[in-house]
Amino acid sequence: MAECDVKKIDVGDGAAIPEPGDRGMVSAWWIALLGTIGLLIALPLKDPSTYGRVLAFIPDGILVTFEVTILSISLALVIGLLTGLGRISKNRYINLVASLYVEVVRGVPLLVQLFYIYFALGRFVRVPDIMAAVIAMSFCYGAYMGEVFRAGIKSIDFGQSEAALSQGFNQAQTMRYVVLPQAWRTILPPVGNEFIALLKDTSLVSILAVSDILRRGREYAAESFNYFETYTMIALVYLLITLILSKIISIMEQRLSHYEKR
Amino acid sequence: MKNADPIIRIQNIDKYFGTFKALDNVSLDVTPGEKVVVLGPSGSGKSTLLRSINQLETIDSGSIIVDGHDLSDPAEDINKIRMEMGMVFQSFNLYKHKTVLENLTLAPIKLKNMTESRANEIGLSLLDKVGILEKADSYPVMLSGGQQQRVAIARALAMEPKIMLFDEPTSALDPEMIGEVLEVMVALAKEGMTMVVVTHEMGFAREVADQVVFMDEGAIVEVGTPDHFFENPTHERTIKFLEQIL
Repeated sequence: MAECDVKKIDVGDGAAIPEPGDRGMVSAWWIALLGTIGLLIALPLKDPSTYGRVLAFIPDGILVTFEVTILSISLALVIGLLTGLGRISKNRYINLVASLYVEVVRGVPLLVQLFYIYFALGRFVRVPDIMAAVIAMSFCYGAYMGEVFRAGIKSIDFGQSEAALSQGFNQAQTMRYVVLPQAWRTILPPVGNEFIALLKDTSLVSILAVSDILRRGREYAAESFNYFETYTMIALVYLLITLILSKIISIMEQRLSHYEKR
Repeated sequence: MKNADPIIRIQNIDKYFGTFKALDNVSLDVTPGEKVVVLGPSGSGKSTLLRSINQLETIDSGSIIVDGHDLSDPAEDINKIRMEMGMVFQSFNLYKHKTVLENLTLAPIKLKNMTESRANEIGLSLLDKVGILEKADSYPVMLSGGQQQRVAIARALAMEPKIMLFDEPTSALDPEMIGEVLEVMVALAKEGMTMVVVTHEMGFAREVADQVVFMDEGAIVEVGTPDHFFENPTHERTIKFLEQIL
């Protein structure tokens, strides 16, 4: 049962995370990384007036992309934890609210949610564009993260909770000291996956006047008409970031599994 | 000893799983320092009875009073009462993400506000007692079943409980590891710990028990001293059970 749950949440819409042992993916990771770095260096050197000039536009875009990603994922983790706990709650009202949230969010495309929250929010309160983007992204990803947390918590053997309860820990302490630290290990791969998926999806916020990588690129393309060169460089930059992130996540995963090794 | 006030008083409890009656009008007194061994075929309700004592199972009727605290009284804090009862499970249930020593110190530090150094001190002495000191920094997965169960006993003792509950502590062990766990339990019994033990180990029951309780189909069929129970059982079902086991 537990194993089945873990497998189910293993494949997400983030990048492919190279597991050691999956040799095809490990080789692919290296080839992709070296190819990406090679192209990112070679193309601007070969043609500084087009590829080179794109590069000048991108760095502040990268900062904005990271800012939106990190703020959104942090908020999404908090929302996800609460949602996950709500979804396993025995209180039927809490359970219903959490389930309803997941149901609604999963049924509406992210782009529509972004527009909706951006413009709907704009009618009532004036929030900075980046904040609107972060709220929309984390509102959406919180629901997915909630499902990840739920599966992670349910994958922990109930005997662990019983042991803690028998020692006198209350439900919340049992969750905090015994279940969640172990669930964290199980959910790290899907959380990492969601992180990368979220980073890629932040490209959608370029539509909301947020100057992320894609928007900065589009600004340059619109004035220079170098569409092909611009989007080539943007694709390579995204690819480089996700490749590095997927590697970091894979390393973190191995670190966290120390107590499972014989 | 039988005249002392009971530390556990179980009166007329019933427990249903759906329509299945797991406990049928069970009553049992355990006095301080007494060792009660509960025997019976699987499905007889002995684990359910044990788990009711620290409310891992909630009963449907009757009452359980532990050290003066009525478990069914909503004003009582079950977590406080549980701190007075250590529990050892069939499947060990050591905290997998903690080292052996951390398994012993987690609850005292978090629940009794014990300092880490004091908890470590107590933890190490308990590990020494169960003969597993050299594994203090290992993770549970690196230990054999017998070692894990000894750590589990030490973990329960770290809370300095008044009562120890054992739920088939040797049933998941390879035969060669049963001895090392029983040895620790016998030593604990000799120190005067109040123990309620659900087990299939007849040798342990004979050697340690003050009271042997035989259960079948959710009810207590026969209660007596080991001598009475093993030499002169009166009830037909007890006799049949002993014939199958011995």
